[in-house]
Amino acid sequence: MDKKILFSRMLKSKFFMVGAVLVLLIVLLSVFSPFIVQFDPVTNSLKDRLISPEYFASGLSGHVFGTDDLGRDIFSRLLLGSRYSLFIAAAVVLVAAFIGTILGAVSGYFGGVTDMIIMRLCDIMMAIPNLVLAIAVMAILGPNIFNLIIVLIVTSWVQYCKVTRNNVMVVKNAEFVKASQVLGAKKTHIMFRQIFPNVTTQLIILISQQFGWTILTEASLSFLSLGVQPPTPSWGNMIADGRNYLITNPWMVFAPGIALMITVLAFNFLGDGLRDVLDPKKI
Amino acid sequence: MPNVMRFILKRLGMTLVILFCVSIIAFGLIRIAPGNPAMLVLPDGAPEEAIRAMEVKLGLDQPLPVQYFRYIGGVLKGDLGTSIIYKIPVKDLIFQRLPVTFQLTVITMVVCLLISIPLGIIAGSRQGTIIDFSATMFALLGQSMSTVWMGILVIYIFSVKLGWLPSMGYGTWQNFVLPAITLGYPVAAQVTRMGRSGMIDVLKEDYITATYAKGIGKAVVYTKYAFKNALIPIVTIVGMQIGTYLAGAVVVETIFAWPGFGQLIFQAVGTRDYPLVQSCLLVSAALFAIVNMFVDILNSFIDPRITLH
Repeated sequence: MDKKILFSRMLKSKFFMVGAVLVLLIVLLSVFSPFIVQFDPVTNSLKDRLISPEYFASGLSGHVFGTDDLGRDIFSRLLLGSRYSLFIAAAVVLVAAFIGTILGAVSGYFGGVTDMIIMRLCDIMMAIPNLVLAIAVMAILGPNIFNLIIVLIVTSWVQYCKVTRNNVMVVKNAEFVKASQVLGAKKTHIMFRQIFPNVTTQLIILISQQFGWTILTEASLSFLSLGVQPPTPSWGNMIADGRNYLITNPWMVFAPGIALMITVLAFNFLGDGLRDVLDPKKI
Repeated sequence: MPNVMRFILKRLGMTLVILFCVSIIAFGLIRIAPGNPAMLVLPDGAPEEAIRAMEVKLGLDQPLPVQYFRYIGGVLKGDLGTSIIYKIPVKDLIFQRLPVTFQLTVITMVVCLLISIPLGIIAGSRQGTIIDFSATMFALLGQSMSTVWMGILVIYIFSVKLGWLPSMGYGTWQNFVLPAITLGYPVAAQVTRMGRSGMIDVLKEDYITATYAKGIGKAVVYTKYAFKNALIPIVTIVGMQIGTYLAGAVVVETIFAWPGFGQLIFQAVGTRDYPLVQSCLLVSAALFAIVNMFVDILNSFIDPRITLH
């Protein structure tokens, strides 16, 4: 698609614009959080326990959302936590998309026994509910960030594999592919240079949707203390910490909860927007 | 209909193969875990001989393939092993806990579908109106809500602030409300979206235009022709959501102290109760597979275009 057309369609899609702006804002906030954060987000400071939120009364130098049960500034933890959540989600989505796409492309292009083996593998992976498998594996491997990323990759590559395979099977029979075959192009050339560019649209949409899913799953695992481990903040474990202090300082839960909601919403908007923008049927 | 029978048998065979592989994964996972399960059963500082004796008693002294075939042989005879922590048969534990989760799931599902199917269909057939906009927002928000955040939020509103409903426990109808909202909202959101986009797609089809051309009224076209076709993706999504339900149940049951299957899995994993963990994984995969099979069969009845191969 022409860049100009693409750009004008992006500007026209409300979902895309809202999603893109929000995502950009969240990423910038988390990247530059060390310059914003005024307090140590990890060290306990028991004399400052459960201070009520000051909101923006004294700018960013006050406890914007108050402090938690161990005297740590919630706003600082929120920002630092965003770095973990986003980093984990990015790592998982990129690696899973890479593995899934390659397997899907191979499966769709070669077909036959290869296809059957890979598809049965997908069926098996899909037979166990994702989060249940993740919980079991995390408890067994022991919770740390590296294992968390591995588990989330293992449970999410199937989606990319299925989507890529189905698309490749459609494109494979297109005439330009037949033409290349007749001209004697190598299989790898046909697969990656000719078929792959035609299946990227679906992949981009899926990636942006999977971002939201990964952030939510990471939060659930961290909430169950099977993900990011304290004192390292993550939105999931912050919600878990805050659930017993709903009366004294509900912002312990509200801050990470709302952050989680807005972030996932932003990625969902982006995904929907991308679908509208990239869909050739909607011109 | 022999065609249907062949289809069901084929699906059943495939399901069994998948479950066999799941059983290997479940069994293998537990063996990778560090730590000796025999030591978990015994009190701390048990003598070496006691640990050996327990290993023999639990069959842990046997080579892995022997252990696996003993386990799978037991499963085929209906014996899922004995829980190390609860010291009662795993089968009894699972049968005790599953109905508790089913109660929650079925009630949630019924309420959820009664709200979301009409909402999605109405939104789809009145594109661009206020109803459509509200339904879309309802759906987008629901898909962005983390189960953990949603759970704590409804506890905050209805238990802490308003004091209307209990924040945890099991037994009365009041106990159902908050877990059901938490579990149901994301699914309702997805069904609403599917219903909406399904309806929009169907209304564009030529056969809908053809029914109008025949002079059939709008109400009949919508209810008799469009609705039925918009239902297909919904049935599929609901089936796929059963897995999400089971997974969501782990989180929801942990938040609300709901004594169901999800909580059992979480506890079993936490205490390394390996016979329980492997059977729970197997049972959840089996439930998921069976539901998906019914979904496929149901879909082929709703839509004759879906061939039974």
